[in-house]
Amino acid sequence: MLLESISTMDFVATKFSDFLTYTGFANVEWPNLAMIAVGAIFIWLAIKKDFEPLLLIPIGLGIILGNIPFKAAGLEIGLYEDNSVLNIFYQGVRQGWYPPLVFLGIGAMTDFGALIANPKLMLIGAAAQFGIFGAYMIALAMGFEPNQAAGIAIIGGADGPTAIFLSSKLSPNLMGAIAVCAYSYMALVPVLQPMVMKLLTTKEQRKIKMKPGRQVSQTEKMLFPIVGLLITTFIVPSGLPLLGMLFFGNLLKESTKTTRLAKTAGSALNDIVVMLLGLTVGCSTQASEFLTLDTIKIFALGAFAFIIATASGVCFVHIMNLFLPKGNKINPLIGNAGVSAVPMAARISNQEGLKADPHNFLLMHAMGPNVAGVIGSAVAAGVLLGFLS
Amino acid sequence: MKKLLSIISFLAVSVGTFAQGAHDFKINEVFVFGCPKCCKAVADSGYVSGDMFKGCQKKPSFYLDEYGEPASWIEIENVSYTTHNIRNCFIATDKAVLNKELSAPEREQLMSIIPAGDPRTQISGKQRITFFVGNRNRGTLHTTDAVQLKAGEENWIAIYDGNAVDLLDSITIPALKPGQTYARLSCGEWQVCEASEATPNGPNQEYYNDKIREFKEKDPHGVAMTLMCMAVVFSCLAVLFLFFQGFGLIIAKMVNKVAEPVVKPVVHAGERVVEAAKQGTTETKGIPMETYTAVIGLALHEYFGGTHDIESGILTINQSQHSSWADKSHELRQIPLHHIAE
Repeated sequence: MLLESISTMDFVATKFSDFLTYTGFANVEWPNLAMIAVGAIFIWLAIKKDFEPLLLIPIGLGIILGNIPFKAAGLEIGLYEDNSVLNIFYQGVRQGWYPPLVFLGIGAMTDFGALIANPKLMLIGAAAQFGIFGAYMIALAMGFEPNQAAGIAIIGGADGPTAIFLSSKLSPNLMGAIAVCAYSYMALVPVLQPMVMKLLTTKEQRKIKMKPGRQVSQTEKMLFPIVGLLITTFIVPSGLPLLGMLFFGNLLKESTKTTRLAKTAGSALNDIVVMLLGLTVGCSTQASEFLTLDTIKIFALGAFAFIIATASGVCFVHIMNLFLPKGNKINPLIGNAGVSAVPMAARISNQEGLKADPHNFLLMHAMGPNVAGVIGSAVAAGVLLGFLS
Repeated sequence: MKKLLSIISFLAVSVGTFAQGAHDFKINEVFVFGCPKCCKAVADSGYVSGDMFKGCQKKPSFYLDEYGEPASWIEIENVSYTTHNIRNCFIATDKAVLNKELSAPEREQLMSIIPAGDPRTQISGKQRITFFVGNRNRGTLHTTDAVQLKAGEENWIAIYDGNAVDLLDSITIPALKPGQTYARLSCGEWQVCEASEATPNGPNQEYYNDKIREFKEKDPHGVAMTLMCMAVVFSCLAVLFLFFQGFGLIIAKMVNKVAEPVVKPVVHAGERVVEAAKQGTTETKGIPMETYTAVIGLALHEYFGGTHDIESGILTINQSQHSSWADKSHELRQIPLHHIAE
């Protein structure tokens, strides 16, 4: 009897000690803890500082989730383990089908009216894409391969889905770092952009009042996604997945006959995709894959890309103003909105405009280049894909 | 009429899709087993002997079938980027099938059908499938005896669509030495390859991304890429700008033209209502009833205190606690959604 109970105790002890080897405490390493701290900071920024909570909370929690240490014993639980639930969710990022779905939602939520009312603002959206190519040149100088440089440089478009889409095609090994970097800087737009804007404008220029846009008819709004799709995809067919879905979503909204579909695309579907996208992108930052010198370089390049994009947008407005009549000048503060971080960048334009003149509301004017930036970054991604894949 | 158009469109799309899929199959590499002497030995003995290549200068190695035996083979590639199924297509080596007078059953007798029901006939984009010549009893990846390749002679090979009539691809291969294959290169030209270069089920050339290498060599600083890409991005948005600038001008002119005749009669009608009301008559005097009612209604509304001549001038804006992505106010519409629901 005694021998039997000793044997049982041995069995329990063996199994329990075996179980302990599976726990996070037994497998933890300092990089895991560092990444968990990063995840916690993201969540803190989202909740306390209100920095894009819809992006940073899923990413922050994803970072924590992806860095919970566990024993590699074929349990099919990790993001990078075949057949795990997280791996199945991650396919949307890896295969690049979350980004077009997000673009569908963006299209269904975006009102291109401000852009149609003042079409010359589209050119600001094009100019701001220089951030992408400026970063591309710097990345090449830092020793990255052209395909890797392109994947990193697209961060300058300030468009998370586009960054994921392009990096999944051109530089899949850097995708996790690129995605987190893109979303992080998108959340940090209120910190990065104002200083560049102030540096490149005078007080008088910041006070420029722009004429309100004309009334845009529903016909024009309906025509925009169709014409936009035809023009952009005929020139850059490689941008088809992103541009096609963007304009499809917008047509659902503007056709006035598919309100239900537009509502779903812009709310429930978009929310689901953003949740899964944010979570899996966060999860993909497992310390072993993420904490590398390349990641540090990518974050540095991302900051450069954002700064160059903002500066090129603002400078381009200065150039445009040289050719515009006196009463029709553009406030250079809307130049920053040429990046496609919608609507954060436009909101920054408005806030900075109000600081210079409390009666100068630039939001609707800034929405023009902002939505043009969405088109511009998708086109830029398509061109890079066409050249390098 | 609508139904007819729908059916025609559907059929047009279906036919197009079928044809496109089948035409993506191309003969990629062909191997003719043995040499004249060896083939005679095979024909005489019915099996492959170790001494078969005794007389040959160099004993080649072969791609073997499921039974571990070498045979002639034909590799077919799906040159598209889409998965297609090659089932029910035909492989032919007899030029008699080129006779257009033959009926479909007669043609089928001269060809070897690729059987349906085997998942291996599903070929992903840019992938290949290899069929051994002869011994159909060994499985789907073997042809019937209708297909024959003769060593030391010129051979003609063709793939036909499921109707046994539409030629998908054909190639005449020259007389090959033992162990040699005839392979299609990426440029479209064909080349005789030695046994060591044979690539059954694989690409005939190693794939590497020329584009990346080219950019690395010719544009190490990224200036050319920047110029080209910025030009394309600007072109796209500039064309959109020009289109909507022009279209906006046309719309603006149309709106101005339409606005005048609509507004003026209403203003005149309103004045006539006021005139009629002053006279105390109940006749509408040709004024549209809705205009008449609107003017009287507005007058009564103002009379009962609905005027807004003096405003406080104070506008209160409450700072939203949500981001733009979550703010309920962003869901506000001109017509509230619950009205639509009702």
